[in-house]
Amino acid sequence: MKERESLSVSEVTCLSPSAVCWARRLAAVGVGSLLLSFLASFALRDGFSRFLLAYLVSFCFCLSLSLGALFFVVLQHLTRAGWSVAVRRLGEILAAALPVWSLLFLPILFLVLVGDGSLYPWNDAAHVEHDPLLQAKQPYLNAPFFAIRALLYFAVWAWIARFYWRHSLAQDETGDKSHTLAMQRRAGISLVAFGLTVTFASFDWLMSLDPHWFSTIFGVYFFAGCVVAAFAALVLIAVSLQKFGYLQDSITADHYHDLGKLLFGFTFFWGYIAFSQYMLIWYADIPEETVWYLTRQSHGWAAISLFLLGGHFLLPFCGLMPRRAKRNKRVLAAWAAWLLVMHWVDLYWLAVPHAGSGPAFSVLDLLCLAGMAGLYGAVLLRIAADRQLIPRRDPWLAESLAFRNG
Amino acid sequence: MSTATQAAIDNTFDDPGRRAPLITGGQDYTSVTDMVCSLAERRQPPLAWYVAFGISSTLAAMFFGLIGYLIVTGIGVWGNNAPVFWAFDIVNFVFWVGIGHAGTLISAILFLFRQNWRTSINRFAEAMTIFAVTCAAIFPGIHVGRVWFAYWLAPYPAQHLEMWPNFRSPLLWDVFAVNTYASISALFWYMGMIPDLATLRDRATTKWRQLAFGIAALGWNGSARHWMRYETAYMLLAALATPLVLSVHSVVSFDFAVSQVPGWHTTIFPPYFVAGAVFGGFAMVILLIVPARQWFGLKHLITLRHLENMNKILLATGTIVGSAYAIEFFIAWYGGNAYERFAFINRALGPYAWSYWTMIACNLGASQFLWLKKVRTTPWMMLIVAAAVTVGMWFERFVIIVTSLSRDFLPSSWGFYKPTAIDILMFIGSFGLFFTMFLLFVRYLPMVAMAEVKSMMPHGHEEEH
Amino acid sequence: MAEQMSNQSEPETKLVGLLAEFRSPEKLVAAAEQVREEGYRRIDAFTPFPVHGLDEALAIRPTVLPWVVLGAGVSGAVAALAGQWWTNTIDYPFVVSGKPLFSLPANIPVTFEVIILFAGFTAFFGMLVLNGLPRFVQPVFRSQRFRRATADRFFLLVEAADARFSVENTRQLLSAVGAAQVEELHDDASPIRLPSWIGWTLVTLAILALLPPLWIARARVVQSDQPRWHTFIDMDYQPKAKPQTVSTLFADGRADRLPVAGTVARGQLRDDVRLYQGIDPDAQTPQPEPSNPEPPHPEPSNPSEPKPEAAKPADAAASEPAVAWVTEIPLPVTDPMMRRGQQQYNIYCAACHGLAGEGDGLVARRAQELQQGTWLPPTSLHSEPVRLQPVGQLFHTISHGVRKMPPYAAQISVPDRWAIVLYIRALQRTQNAKPEDVPSETWKAMQP
Repeated sequence: MKERESLSVSEVTCLSPSAVCWARRLAAVGVGSLLLSFLASFALRDGFSRFLLAYLVSFCFCLSLSLGALFFVVLQHLTRAGWSVAVRRLGEILAAALPVWSLLFLPILFLVLVGDGSLYPWNDAAHVEHDPLLQAKQPYLNAPFFAIRALLYFAVWAWIARFYWRHSLAQDETGDKSHTLAMQRRAGISLVAFGLTVTFASFDWLMSLDPHWFSTIFGVYFFAGCVVAAFAALVLIAVSLQKFGYLQDSITADHYHDLGKLLFGFTFFWGYIAFSQYMLIWYADIPEETVWYLTRQSHGWAAISLFLLGGHFLLPFCGLMPRRAKRNKRVLAAWAAWLLVMHWVDLYWLAVPHAGSGPAFSVLDLLCLAGMAGLYGAVLLRIAADRQLIPRRDPWLAESLAFRNG
Repeated sequence: MSTATQAAIDNTFDDPGRRAPLITGGQDYTSVTDMVCSLAERRQPPLAWYVAFGISSTLAAMFFGLIGYLIVTGIGVWGNNAPVFWAFDIVNFVFWVGIGHAGTLISAILFLFRQNWRTSINRFAEAMTIFAVTCAAIFPGIHVGRVWFAYWLAPYPAQHLEMWPNFRSPLLWDVFAVNTYASISALFWYMGMIPDLATLRDRATTKWRQLAFGIAALGWNGSARHWMRYETAYMLLAALATPLVLSVHSVVSFDFAVSQVPGWHTTIFPPYFVAGAVFGGFAMVILLIVPARQWFGLKHLITLRHLENMNKILLATGTIVGSAYAIEFFIAWYGGNAYERFAFINRALGPYAWSYWTMIACNLGASQFLWLKKVRTTPWMMLIVAAAVTVGMWFERFVIIVTSLSRDFLPSSWGFYKPTAIDILMFIGSFGLFFTMFLLFVRYLPMVAMAEVKSMMPHGHEEEH
Repeated sequence: MAEQMSNQSEPETKLVGLLAEFRSPEKLVAAAEQVREEGYRRIDAFTPFPVHGLDEALAIRPTVLPWVVLGAGVSGAVAALAGQWWTNTIDYPFVVSGKPLFSLPANIPVTFEVIILFAGFTAFFGMLVLNGLPRFVQPVFRSQRFRRATADRFFLLVEAADARFSVENTRQLLSAVGAAQVEELHDDASPIRLPSWIGWTLVTLAILALLPPLWIARARVVQSDQPRWHTFIDMDYQPKAKPQTVSTLFADGRADRLPVAGTVARGQLRDDVRLYQGIDPDAQTPQPEPSNPEPPHPEPSNPSEPKPEAAKPADAAASEPAVAWVTEIPLPVTDPMMRRGQQQYNIYCAACHGLAGEGDGLVARRAQELQQGTWLPPTSLHSEPVRLQPVGQLFHTISHGVRKMPPYAAQISVPDRWAIVLYIRALQRTQNAKPEDVPSETWKAMQP
């Protein structure tokens, strides 16, 4: 039994100074890609709507990584987990992107406030005039309330993320246990606030794209996707960092094993939620609900739906089941990358079909995604620069470093 | 043998970096063994056991008598009518099945999450699961009317019927789910008990006890090779029981959610029901375990930390249930479906409003007190909360089933339901059956998983949580 | 090497090995490592709970159980899916609430449960089988001290069968590695023999167990003239007289009774002959009930010949005895009655006679297609003989049928039959109308 209770002296726990340069480069690439994507939209029919959808999907993709990571961090504190401390800072970095990331929602917010209905049909006054159902929903689906709620969601997330970021960093300096106690105490109420805001955010931003449709489990579905994506991202970040020489000894096969188990478990959870939603709507066969799924099995979307079922659930479930797969960095990272791709497909599948045409992945979507990813990466690097990649003076660190999976 | 004092050591402190002891009072392997085995080995349990057993077996006898009356006379002895075709029978079924889920969660899910504190309570909770599922399974069995044809539900080649069950029906999924759950839980419980039964066998002083425990222990000898396979099987069963428990209450929720009845057809039912089941189940565990640890002198094994952890899970699941209420209510409005909107208004303001507000007060009101550490760590306070939650969860099923059925789409079909005395007495009788089995369990079987507790006791390098 | 233990009653014992007792799991693990290093291979450890590190110390290989369980789970999935597919789509297909016969979403829950069921049972019973349990007779159980192996002591057994085993050296080694006590373990060397009565009991039980299935198998093939057993009465014996059964209450022994002479059941008086039979009693000359004599089938041995059509009804009508049919519908003729007649006609008559009465209903067309050779096409209601028939006769035809047409009295109430007759008259008028029948405004509008 290896006894490793403290960080080895040679352990590199801080990003090299070039990280800031890389952040700038990524930001430039990101902005550039987004602009290109916007320009490309002029060349396409319905380009503006498609650009907005691509923007929304990629924005939500990166947002979901931060949200899932926030959930992970707060949950670890709630349960007083010891094993995860070695990787928790990575989650904190992802979550700490939330305040800045909210700025990227401003374009959508602006569009909604000026009454543009290209993205959200309920915001199109002409549309609403002829639709009694939308009129009935107006007390909720109206631009000002939408904006207030969006601000509220981001405020709550930013507050929680910053709270945990500040305390965790402060503990790096002083090692004062009161920080851990504070983070523990706040965990419960933070998760409640998190749960409610994520639920309603998914209703507002994704479910209302098809404003006639509704599903009570939609928030849980989105949440499940966020958590899967966040664990996948954590795995990929950890593996990448180790590849570049950081945290070589701190993150072990045992940590990957646990991350793999959680990835496996939440993949199954995602499948369970997806199946519940589908099966209940399919079984009762009520037209006002089935229309959403009908859209997703016509005009070429059926292939995407089946691809999602197989790729987001069946394949990873089988692939992540063996113990060896979870303990092997390369295999686990491959599955993590695959699941991130599938998560993007999931968001695409959620958002785009109501637009009417078939699934048309175009350069526009890719550029948008590249843009968002670049910006996101830049934000992460910027946050992580000059900070420890592992909470050096966390009281549970010793337990985490010595952690053996059974 | 160490002298274990009965002074309650508060191990609910929070000191980051230091894991609180899960076993207090300076126990060692010997004292743990003695503490638990002596309960199953004493010749005469205290008088209170006899009194309790007398009451519970009387109620159980009443239960079976009423079942006989029901079968001979017919479903008309209940208050079920058109449109309220499902009432106390299905409410009780869902109630008991839900309670069973806490046991599996403690056994399987907490095991997968390496929560070592579960070892003091898992035997107790698993037993509760078996007994709760037994009580649960009786209700759908007797509510079919012609109970002697209940075997038609099984997929056997029925020449004379020339037909097969309808696998597309959630009622049949229930048959498979509950039966699978009962059998797998029983296997898991029994498998967990084998090493402890061996302990009792090896300590047995009378021939009968030797024989009984000897057969039950299957010749277990504690061989390292056997332990290795045992641990693998345990982990496999835990990994299987986890999705099983999720699926069982999801399938139960499908009974309602696949329909089109307003208030029933909503996609969040599966996870919401599972959370509700764990919520109600943990309340029952707390209701049972707080007196048990007191009366059986197990305070050093089932410590305040265990209770606090259980209460935290209670709080978490209660909050999830409350959020689900809010989301359902919101989407009922958001969906714009007049029937769905009415269903929720009717719940709060209609003829069964009293049941709705009882549910809210008990589930949300009572459980939110658990935010206070004082409530989480004081036994009498948590008993009140747990009792309220048990009541509230029964009423939740009542609200869902009866209010939605009594008033659905067409006002001309609306009807009012009143339970008959048989309904109520059967419900009480089911508690009699549950407690009868439970009292027998605490008398004859090891209440705490000794082997598991010992395996996580500190002896140098192990850690607690 | 038969060392006798003083408390052994059996004369024949053999040494199984040396059993060392340790006070703590750490000591046991360390001892196991050292003993193994010394070259001993046939060793086993016994603990009250699984001790970590012991598996490595004893070089115990992982078990194959997870793979077996995986296989069981997969076979559960296959069995459940195949079972549901076969029962619900092949053997007993029925459509329920519009769901497809094989509805994968609806078949998933049962499949899932069966997977867990198969896998779980395999895990439990597989573990028992692999461990060789139940095994109630074991050498280690002969040791008194070993009883604490399931409570608070830790044991190491070095088997005598091991190559390096020697009583003195092994005992020394065990004491050296920290054993609190070392004892010799002996076993009964005589071969195990089950008492004979066990064998006989099992054979008897097996034979007895076969009896019920054999009896059931016999019952399935043997026919009986005895009535079924009624384990649950289920309203099988009802205190009422069933038709065509024996009754001892009456002289003729029958349960079937005619109505009492001189009585009429309520609603059965039907004395209005015009309404109920379509016959005018005043103009009636005493006639027997028309009996619809069918003209003999001309070519019974030549079924492929096309059937002659219009000739038959005319012949039949000509050969019928004259009956004084009513010529006016004996109910007030109203618009609702006409619409009712249309509705009822479309329900009951149009299938054969066609919506317009041409005789081209779906049944007629289909039967024609099938060319069975026994099909007589329905009369066209527009043919002259039918047009000439008085309404009473039409009513009679509907009530009692004619030739191949079955009687409809049981399905259509009397007022509805008159309504249909009214509608038939309307249909007939459509194919045989005169300019005077057209309303004047419409006639004017029709002019070029």
